[in-house]
Amino acid sequence: MVSYKDEIIKAMKYLAEKPNSIFIGQSVRFKGTGLYWTIEEIDDSKKIETPIFEDIQLGISIGMALNGLIPISIFPRMDFLVLALNQLVNHLDKFEEMSDGQFKPKVIIRTSIGSVKPLFPGPQHSQDHTEALMKMCKNINIVKLTDKNFIMEEYKKAFLNDKSTILIELPDLYDS
Amino acid sequence: MILMIRMMNKQELIDFEKELVKRYLNREIRSPVHLSGGNEDQLIKIFRNVKPGDWIFSTYRSHYHALLKGVPRQWLLNWVLDNKSIHVMNKEHKIVTSSIVGGTISQAVGTAIAIKQKNENNHVWVFIGDMAASIGVFQDCLKYSVNNKLPIKFVIENNGLSTDTPSNEAWNMSEEDYNYQLKKFSEEFPECVIYYEYKRIYPHYGVGKRIDFETGRIIKTG
Repeated sequence: MVSYKDEIIKAMKYLAEKPNSIFIGQSVRFKGTGLYWTIEEIDDSKKIETPIFEDIQLGISIGMALNGLIPISIFPRMDFLVLALNQLVNHLDKFEEMSDGQFKPKVIIRTSIGSVKPLFPGPQHSQDHTEALMKMCKNINIVKLTDKNFIMEEYKKAFLNDKSTILIELPDLYDS
Repeated sequence: MILMIRMMNKQELIDFEKELVKRYLNREIRSPVHLSGGNEDQLIKIFRNVKPGDWIFSTYRSHYHALLKGVPRQWLLNWVLDNKSIHVMNKEHKIVTSSIVGGTISQAVGTAIAIKQKNENNHVWVFIGDMAASIGVFQDCLKYSVNNKLPIKFVIENNGLSTDTPSNEAWNMSEEDYNYQLKKFSEEFPECVIYYEYKRIYPHYGVGKRIDFETGRIIKTG
């Protein structure tokens, strides 16, 4: 049986094959979060390990996108993505509007709602802010990956789309 | 393709902002304008080293940066009259700004990373006010840029004010100590940081006079 996690790994390999793609974030080159195991096989030359400075990480991702790269910016849990709201809501979401359509930086944001099984990580590692993000962002696609059969399709769409996309994974389903 | 064009001189810069004052009082601008002024000499000197293919990241006070990079006067005037002075963006001239304090600093770092990844030979210049230079985002981005040898220059423009609050008061420091701490970045990292001080001649935003947009009558000065 092909699992949810297998589909994520397949999607990451698809993105890694693209010449301008680059994976950026915490634990992209070193183990430490659950998401690491889905990009473990991707060559380190396609990865930028960052300090834990989420808002700067997303700003860096935007800046790379302005100059032609396609960053896959990884925030292992949605609780951490909240720390990047300035760059997400005030900048990435508004660039096209502020520049009269001249700049359309495209960032693929990968995050997850922290798993609660078999260990409950507490309220700061398991929040689901999907609806709040949908209300705050006017111009960013937001997709919750609830069905493993659409994971590859959604990541392909995110790559081919002109707009930025936030893809929200559910690690509780990884083994299903 | 960007052609080499003559850089604006000091008087032309001053005159551009003076025209905006006139237009503002004539009720042709219906949005906040953050006028530049008092730092013409310092910027003209800095921009002698900026190449046409370089990127400029700036703030809500960006008219001089845009003009010195080569954005045509009329283009910028139209942009301001279209009520977008607070975020001047020009893709042809690679100008990115934000009306959030410190908003473009990390973006500038990202663009510098992309330049390095793509083996391009251009450069990133990021202009920031003194308050932005005294908060975490700048210090983290500077550290990251130095460690990664990125093609980026941070220009700290110290006018001592955050909106109209004396920045040193906000930090509960003497003006001398505040300035010293900022200047030290350029002494410690001369390859990455340029520092200058200047006295702002216009208020944080507006022209120093408040007008009634219905009647055109000046209702308050200052």
